[in-house]
Amino acid sequence: MTSRLNKQLKIAPYIYISPYFILFFVFSLYPILYSIYISFTDWNGSGEKTFIGFENYVQLFGDKNFWLSLWNSSIIFLMYVPLMLFLGLIFASMLNSNWMVGKGFFRMALFVPNFVSVVAVSFVFVLLLNTQNGLFNSVLRNIGLIDNPIPWLESPWWARISVSIMVLYRWLGYNMLLLMTGLQNISKDLYEAAYVDGATKIKSFFFITIPLVKKMLLFCTVLSTIGTFSLFTEPFILTQGGPLNSTLTPVLMLYTESFQNFNFGYASSIAVCFFILMMTISLIQMRVFDDKE
Amino acid sequence: MEKAMKLQHVKHHEGKRGILSVTTFIIMTLVSLATMFPLFWLFSSSLKDISEIFVNPPMWVPKVFHWENFTELFVNRKFGIITWNSFLLATTSTVVALVFCSLAGFAFAKYHFKGKNFLFIMVLASLMIPHEATMVPLFSIYKGMGLIDNIWGVILPDLANAFGIFFMRQYCSALPEEMLEAARIDGCTEFKLFRRIVLPNLKSGFAGLGIILFVKQWNNFLWPSVILRSQENMTLSVALKALEDSNNTPYHLIMAGSVISVVPLLIIVLIFQKQLIAGMIEGAVKG
Repeated sequence: MTSRLNKQLKIAPYIYISPYFILFFVFSLYPILYSIYISFTDWNGSGEKTFIGFENYVQLFGDKNFWLSLWNSSIIFLMYVPLMLFLGLIFASMLNSNWMVGKGFFRMALFVPNFVSVVAVSFVFVLLLNTQNGLFNSVLRNIGLIDNPIPWLESPWWARISVSIMVLYRWLGYNMLLLMTGLQNISKDLYEAAYVDGATKIKSFFFITIPLVKKMLLFCTVLSTIGTFSLFTEPFILTQGGPLNSTLTPVLMLYTESFQNFNFGYASSIAVCFFILMMTISLIQMRVFDDKE
Repeated sequence: MEKAMKLQHVKHHEGKRGILSVTTFIIMTLVSLATMFPLFWLFSSSLKDISEIFVNPPMWVPKVFHWENFTELFVNRKFGIITWNSFLLATTSTVVALVFCSLAGFAFAKYHFKGKNFLFIMVLASLMIPHEATMVPLFSIYKGMGLIDNIWGVILPDLANAFGIFFMRQYCSALPEEMLEAARIDGCTEFKLFRRIVLPNLKSGFAGLGIILFVKQWNNFLWPSVILRSQENMTLSVALKALEDSNNTPYHLIMAGSVISVVPLLIIVLIFQKQLIAGMIEGAVKG
């Protein structure tokens, strides 16, 4: 090989990775560092920044709403994740059986809510869950299941349930797909053998399926944790974080403090805490799945 | 004897399968109906008059189809340009990101260079920076750069896509070394090698990553809603939210706008569903 080509071989990779690194420095690394700096100042976004040390953090850790936002996310997580994984695994097992007809169609039907615009779906749920004449309440009343309308979006606990229902609706199909790939690694002989040994379907599900997809279930749980703490659009459109901040999430609080109240300094302290939280979850994820390959 | 018994068992098992598969089929049909129902309601509501949105008993299908909801959006609410913005945004950001991701993915897969491991760990670490945490400083940086109310302000941060680099690196690793060597021996420059030999061989990777990025950008909401201010610069998601009004929200128009946002994506996804599903799984499990 000529030296000209050799030189190219040395330079080319740096040129190839440079667009990424330039964009990363300008639009990601510099902003996150800048964010840490702003979090130590009092700033409304346009005037002078006043350095105030840890005051924002002191205020944040004493802010009832901040802890409430973490608490709300945890409750929403508990409301939908176990149910989603359980249903996801059952549907995945059903679609995975080799005698199932229409696999492709069902798989797609469950997956559609995941890629359809969140904003559009959220507005449909606003209509469906309306207290006075939303479809859910109308149907429940007309078939005599309830006498008084359910305040889906107007009472703290129901609002959390509504957000959870919508998140479940959007992510069930996605998790089912991931669990299906986990199931495909389980040998069919195992079920046949279990059957010959007298195990029922339900027994096989609990003693073969669940242990063998444990890792995938864990993986889905980690993804859902990240997703739940980053929730924004669903509570923003369904409930605006209310009522009584019962569906306020960390990202929603960050948005309100920065782009509605213009407390950029305070909002940055939320951003930094959110960053640390997400980083911790990602590091745990890497630890747990390190031996994957 | 034992073998015969086992065979009998298996046969019995097969008979039971018939009942089981019918039950499974019925359950899956009901579940699919449930997941499709909100979409049905979306389409139905988009053709209603505002007075027919909240009524008891519920109106399943509007008596008269109010197509004028759509006319109103396109004629008076600038939804023509807004739809075009969404297309422009999603297409540009996908195409450019695919080029950048495949370049970097190829570099990390097939070259040996100083600092490669360190740089790759940096790409890995960058996945941990949530975009939400950079919004405040990015907003003030944008003010200085004139990127507020500019569609490029949405595109630029999304071009640095670490996930896409991982994704394309997988596909680049699979390219045979001999193919690259042969081209080099024939006197191909490195850039020509990338353009003529590598790019055409990454088609399935591009399809998978491309559809994922397109869907994501088409539905992108939080950051666009922060920076896109004037109606003629908005994307569909942002414009839908902007239709909301504290006194009198035109839900019939929001539903019609949602249909405009949902239908093109539904068509694209149905065409590329194999790639999307394969890409999603690959991206989640390997990325």
